[in-house]
Amino acid sequence: MNFSVLTSEFWALALQGTALGLIYSLIALGYTMVYGVLRLINFANSEIFMVGTFSTMLIEIVVFKRAIDLPALSGGKLIFVLLLTLMGSMLVCALLAMLVELVAYRRLRARGTNRLASLISAIGTSIFLSESVRLLSGSRSHSAPRVLDKWSFGEVAGANFRIDTMMTIVAAIVIFIVLEIFVTKSHLGKAIRAVSMSEENSKLMGINLNRVITMTFAIGGLTTGAAAFFYTTTYENTVFNVGFNLGIAAFTSAVLGGIGNLRGAFYGGLSLGLLEQFASAILGSQWKSVTVFLVLVLVLLIKPSGIFGEAVQQTRT
Amino acid sequence: MNKKFTRGLALAASAALVFGAVATTQANAASEVTIAVQGPFTGDYAQLGVDQYPGAQFAVAKYNATKPKVKIKLIKADSQCDGTVAANVAPGIAANAAVVGVIGTSCSGEARNSIPSYKAAGLAMVSPSATAVDLTDPLSKNNGSPVFHRVVVNDATQGPALAKYATLGLKKPKVFLIDDKSPYGAGLIVAVKDALPAYGTVAGQDSVPVPLSDWTSVVSKVKASGAAVVIYGGYDADAAKFVKALRDNGYKGIFAGGDGVDTSAFPGLAGSAAEGVRMTAPDVPFDTLVSKAVLKDFQKITGVKVPGLYVTSAYDSANIYIDCIKKGNTTRSTILDCVNDGLWKGIGGGAISFDQDGDVIGGAAVGGYLVKKGKIIYDKKL
Repeated sequence: MNFSVLTSEFWALALQGTALGLIYSLIALGYTMVYGVLRLINFANSEIFMVGTFSTMLIEIVVFKRAIDLPALSGGKLIFVLLLTLMGSMLVCALLAMLVELVAYRRLRARGTNRLASLISAIGTSIFLSESVRLLSGSRSHSAPRVLDKWSFGEVAGANFRIDTMMTIVAAIVIFIVLEIFVTKSHLGKAIRAVSMSEENSKLMGINLNRVITMTFAIGGLTTGAAAFFYTTTYENTVFNVGFNLGIAAFTSAVLGGIGNLRGAFYGGLSLGLLEQFASAILGSQWKSVTVFLVLVLVLLIKPSGIFGEAVQQTRT
Repeated sequence: MNKKFTRGLALAASAALVFGAVATTQANAASEVTIAVQGPFTGDYAQLGVDQYPGAQFAVAKYNATKPKVKIKLIKADSQCDGTVAANVAPGIAANAAVVGVIGTSCSGEARNSIPSYKAAGLAMVSPSATAVDLTDPLSKNNGSPVFHRVVVNDATQGPALAKYATLGLKKPKVFLIDDKSPYGAGLIVAVKDALPAYGTVAGQDSVPVPLSDWTSVVSKVKASGAAVVIYGGYDADAAKFVKALRDNGYKGIFAGGDGVDTSAFPGLAGSAAEGVRMTAPDVPFDTLVSKAVLKDFQKITGVKVPGLYVTSAYDSANIYIDCIKKGNTTRSTILDCVNDGLWKGIGGGAISFDQDGDVIGGAAVGGYLVKKGKIIYDKKL
């Protein structure tokens, strides 16, 4: 155990853990939104994230003609490219999520099959997407071009307030606030909540169930697409199986926070990001996953519904 | 034992005899034998295999062009630099009766899990790049003798060279050691650590489960340790992510790695962060050893403009088999005997033979490589 790293690098680890955790949170939303409505784990969400990372990279290379050996952008052009790439990634992921719902789940739901069939369908879709991209990408890592220079606002107590770190944190918080307002205030948000509480009663109230479910997938895809953009902009690489580890981390975040509720995904991801950083620093990187899953098991033993599972049931999506 | 079972057993035994006889006859009358080149051709570490394959391809093409009695067919066996994949690939190669030798494996983890199959099949291996010490350690359970051989020196030699090259120009600096938990990476770092007291001090150590997306906690540890040098034991794709994270977080010290990092893909993967990275490899670049005409021929046959890492040792490995086949050895057992007992001249001019554990006697000295202006250059012999 190395506590000296913790004392000297505490704020650096906390800042980095927050940024990473919020990327987990955004992906976790893809799981939690769908679970809230359908009580189904959409395992394909991790691959939707993976497709988002490739989309981000391809938009930068093909649309904006960026290359590994070109310098980063600045000024208005930088903002333009970043915004359009973010929107492109979100759009691709939203459309893919809607397509996955249409192809993999809707028919099963219409035929009244049990959840196990949907679960297998979800896993099958996930493998299909991952293997397709593996074949198309030569199954190796790909570096994304540097669009955003990693300049820093400054260093406080060892924490480096880098532009990409701050952009991820601020944007993720904004996305959560917007989503929370959307779910609680908008017409569609209320419909999503109604379906989440009772599918049968929602139908009786005249809610178009298929439309609500498709839109729920789309919203999950949008947040997952945003996560893919921030991930690729920060780490500048992707690979066909990138969704596996991040998907597990995001799913764990959703379960840790209480799957099915928005705030659970937010705090679950945040907790996981911080926990990973501190565990790596104190115990060594090889103990990171062991620590994280040990904590998850302990939390679930004490509170099976996750940290926020029961407490904020009413704000559940 | 019931009658049905006995009859089945007898049938199986007869079939085995017949097929065995057919296989033997085929081997005796061989006009073509197959050599498998085993390494990563897809996956994260593919560049290592992609870089070295042209060495074997060139040697075999030149040999086949002489219209020999027994031609050689090269096949690729892709085990992705992954021991688990290799454990599935190797039995298939061993079961292919046409294969009389293996050039490979590229990675030590692959070798570790392939050796049991090749030992059982009596199939010779000549590796151009697997450097983990335990593969030729007679006391290790991973010892590959008598089938495993390598034309490169092992990490007991590369480790001290890496420690020396990484700290070159600094006076006993603090060094942070990191490995990727692979048999190769972890083994190399053990060898570096053993040699380090002569060149610097250990400021900290970590083992990282790869693939890892976020390296920032490791960066924090490196910065907290005050290390002026970071030595990474692992492969190019992960090293690229790590060095990017170090530079993006303001770390200005030296970053160094072994031959796993030294692939032609590394500068492209790491971008500007690759600049100044120091690497070692027990290899001398092919283009520095051959004439312009040979290099032109190599480029024409392989389609590769700049020969990558371990082309030289893959070329030497292929020539060992070629020489054995020229001498009339076309079965697995005779080729294995030939490889175990032979003496050859490498393209670098030095003599190559193997000791009883499969380690090279002779072989190239460890070289220091450097990334300059986005390209890997051969810096010096260490």
